[in-house]
Amino acid sequence: MEIVHLRGVSRSYQSGDHVLKALDGVDLSLEAGKFVVILGPSGAGKSTLLNLLGGLDSPTEGTITVKGRDISRLSRDQLADYRAETVGFVFQFYNLVPTLTVLENVALVKEIAPKALPAEQLLQEVGLYDHKDHFPSELSGGEQQRVSIARALAKNPEILLCDEPTGALDSETGVVVLKLLLKMARDYGKTIIIVTHNQSIARMADVVVRVKNGRIRSVEEQPVPASADEIDW
Amino acid sequence: MLKRKLFRTMKAYRGQFLSMIVMIALGVGVFLGFQMEWVSIEGNTGSFFRDTGFADYRLVSETGFSQADLDRIRDLAGVDAAARYLSVPADLKQRAGHSLALSVTTDPAVSGFLVLEGEPYDPESPDGVWISDKFADANDLRLGDAVDLDYQNLTLSGTIRGLVKASEHLICVRDETQLMPDYERYGFCYVSPELYEKTLGFAFYPQIHVRSDLSKQDFIDAANTALGKTLLVLSKNETISYAEAMGESEEGKTMGAVLPVLFLLIAVLTMVTTMHRLTVQEKTQIGTLKALGFRDRRILRHYSAYAFWIGVVGACLGVGIGYWLAWFIMNPNGSMGTYLDMPDWKLWMPWWCVVIILAMIGMLTLVGYLSVRKMLQGSAADALRPYVPKKMRHLLLERSRLWQKLRFGARWNLRDSLRHKTRTLMSLIGVMGCMLILVAGLGMVDTLDAFLDLYYSHSMNYSSRIFLSQEVGDEELDRLLEAYPGDWSASQSVELFDKTVSLDVYHLERDAIRFFDDKEREVPLGDDGAYLCQRISRDYDLHPGDSLSVKPYGTDQVYTLRVAGVIRSVSESIVLSDRYAEALGVDLRPDSLYTELAREDIAQDSAIRAVQTKSDIMDSFDTFIELMNTMIVLLVLAAAILGVVVLYNLGSMSYLERYREMATLKVVGFRDRQIARLLIGQNLWITLIGALLGLPLGVAVLDYLLKKLAGEYEMGLHFRLSSALISMALTFGVSLIVGLMIARKNRKIDMVAALKGAE
Repeated sequence: MEIVHLRGVSRSYQSGDHVLKALDGVDLSLEAGKFVVILGPSGAGKSTLLNLLGGLDSPTEGTITVKGRDISRLSRDQLADYRAETVGFVFQFYNLVPTLTVLENVALVKEIAPKALPAEQLLQEVGLYDHKDHFPSELSGGEQQRVSIARALAKNPEILLCDEPTGALDSETGVVVLKLLLKMARDYGKTIIIVTHNQSIARMADVVVRVKNGRIRSVEEQPVPASADEIDW
Repeated sequence: MLKRKLFRTMKAYRGQFLSMIVMIALGVGVFLGFQMEWVSIEGNTGSFFRDTGFADYRLVSETGFSQADLDRIRDLAGVDAAARYLSVPADLKQRAGHSLALSVTTDPAVSGFLVLEGEPYDPESPDGVWISDKFADANDLRLGDAVDLDYQNLTLSGTIRGLVKASEHLICVRDETQLMPDYERYGFCYVSPELYEKTLGFAFYPQIHVRSDLSKQDFIDAANTALGKTLLVLSKNETISYAEAMGESEEGKTMGAVLPVLFLLIAVLTMVTTMHRLTVQEKTQIGTLKALGFRDRRILRHYSAYAFWIGVVGACLGVGIGYWLAWFIMNPNGSMGTYLDMPDWKLWMPWWCVVIILAMIGMLTLVGYLSVRKMLQGSAADALRPYVPKKMRHLLLERSRLWQKLRFGARWNLRDSLRHKTRTLMSLIGVMGCMLILVAGLGMVDTLDAFLDLYYSHSMNYSSRIFLSQEVGDEELDRLLEAYPGDWSASQSVELFDKTVSLDVYHLERDAIRFFDDKEREVPLGDDGAYLCQRISRDYDLHPGDSLSVKPYGTDQVYTLRVAGVIRSVSESIVLSDRYAEALGVDLRPDSLYTELAREDIAQDSAIRAVQTKSDIMDSFDTFIELMNTMIVLLVLAAAILGVVVLYNLGSMSYLERYREMATLKVVGFRDRQIARLLIGQNLWITLIGALLGLPLGVAVLDYLLKKLAGEYEMGLHFRLSSALISMALTFGVSLIVGLMIARKNRKIDMVAALKGAE
């Protein structure tokens, strides 16, 4: 079943006198429940693509359809609701609220997501229940990223969007986090889209989308993806 | 190149910088304004007193002083000059109902005047009248006009020879019951001794005015020895003009000490937090400059320059505000102008203000310097590392069950407030200051309203007060009482310890005058004791049941009074019923009659000196109330500026500090309005606490100001519920407006940019 569909999507930025085209006429269709990696060098437009999918930004041209709904022309509030219900984000730098405890950071989404899952349950699953009363600053990077994954999933969204989720972690921790991310996505039946420039992660994906200079170079399906343990970082 | 950076950075932080400049300007302005006010009052009245020979001591004798008495006093060692003097109330025939203080001095160098227009003072002039320029102006009198002055049974006919101002009449009021001058109805004039003595037929001067540097006790001893009797001696502190002018100067000192401290405190605190904030945000830049090879001293100088320039610009604006404020209060047509009648209205900038302003700029620069120095400590690599915010700690409160019930917004705001304690504290101080000014200002209006209501609606239960001529006997009093039914009173000066107070005897059977205690309950005059005004009771620790002795001047009599009660009074007085006075053997000479009749119903009569209606007194209050209202508008404006500036500054700081957190909330799916509610919520909670603390503080400040500024009126502090609600509403209004201004910004949060980079 198709979950994401992009047709003729462009995003340009006005910078001074010239127009910078970050995305230029992108067409893309992604299936539900798949693990998708968007691969490309920095400045290729992959983060722009992720931001558009996540409702952080709107395209200047073209339409984006998620679960049959056009999200490219939504109002600010509608976009906020879309982010609350349909997508969960995991960032390179975790972006937890420093003044809330681990448990509170995850439970926070209860205020906005109608289908929210119990925060305690998710913390159990990412193995941080014992740390639930700590503040983010008291955790290691890997632990913070696990909290961030729990928070993303707590909204019970259709799609998990991850922007370089292991970018700030050492390789060992990166593998642990990645494994957890995949396991959780599979357990909860979520579509997961990871943006990275790390070739190794791409080997684990069901679908690899290569982006360069604001255009899609290739979309490649991998029938038998590698497991995290096989990957050489 | 660094200079260019200085200006660009200033632009980036313009909100903060602007608010600091405003606070400093307000602080310096209010400080300077009030300092200049009192210094200028002292300066201008001082030169006026000197130029017109304001008397240091006044000898009073009802039998009068002879030329020989004057010579003996003038020959005393330590006496610079002396003159025989007279000042009595007189009616102006040409303008019915308008009266003047008729003054005569035998030496223009003592208790004299300044001629603004016309001829100089001439003691030999056969018809010379020198009249107050303000009274002349209000009554359309010109040089050369003939005037007839009715004084007791005499009429002095003269010609206006000059328009003058006199320091003896600096505050031109009939007596202490008249709060503000009314130049149309009451003025003053000087007549030549020649005209006065010729009309009277002999030279009667009940006073000798003396200029002398002797202490009061030394002077009294010398004068008593010289004249061979005990005399009533009044020092200049006991005259309305001198005492009230010094009182105004005291007020300036008080106001200049209370308000500016608040503004400057907030300015300095804002400076501390903003400089810290700025250097934190600029930490990597500081590190970069350091790594590039700039010396610490150069960087320090660069960042201290921000504080320095803010101080300089704020202080310059403040000097402007100060001059304006001082001018606003101290100009011939301004609030002081309706009160003080003097020729010069120069504004004086005292030297210590310059010192204090320079010291303040220095301190601000130091604050900037110290906050940067902290950032520079350690190596260039340390400085390059981004600033690490304080670690989060759990609050004690979190152990309570209440915490579990709090929503995330509340928890978030509580932890954030406690994490940034300085910021929260400053917001609190700002809100408290705003509330305090509003409460004190509106409470002042309430207090004054209540005072006027009590005094004029309840206490003065008559329409007209008839001032009787000095020589009214019992028969004439009975005749007048028949014609004008009412109550009467008799006042005389008595000596109480070291002070001259008024002993007022009332005959009340028609309820024309009522007395009230501090709780505003009516106190009926009993026949078995005296009633003291609050000031006498407080100053001499006299309470019901105690007894005290008073001595009328010019006699050897001593009356021992029992204190029956304490009442409120605008004059410093002891009140007796006529029966109690008679029982004590007090010599009664009725001087006032209180009646229900209007002015038109009271005929010209040789036994009547003047008629004062209740509305005359109310009129004199109008200007006073107008002034008050202007002051209140200014105060409310200052409160609003204070509130907006402090809350906006801290709000935008809080916004900057939480930018990333808000971006996160936005990404997670919170709507703009939900985030705005979080931000405004914190503001409103701080506002609530600040307002609740500011309310009692404002009442305390009001109480202090009332005691200090208006002690002579013995007003009772009043603060209406409506004023409390208005103050609350205004404070919350300011907080809400600022909250909305800041919340609007969160629409502009760049989620993508905010989430890049490490925490």
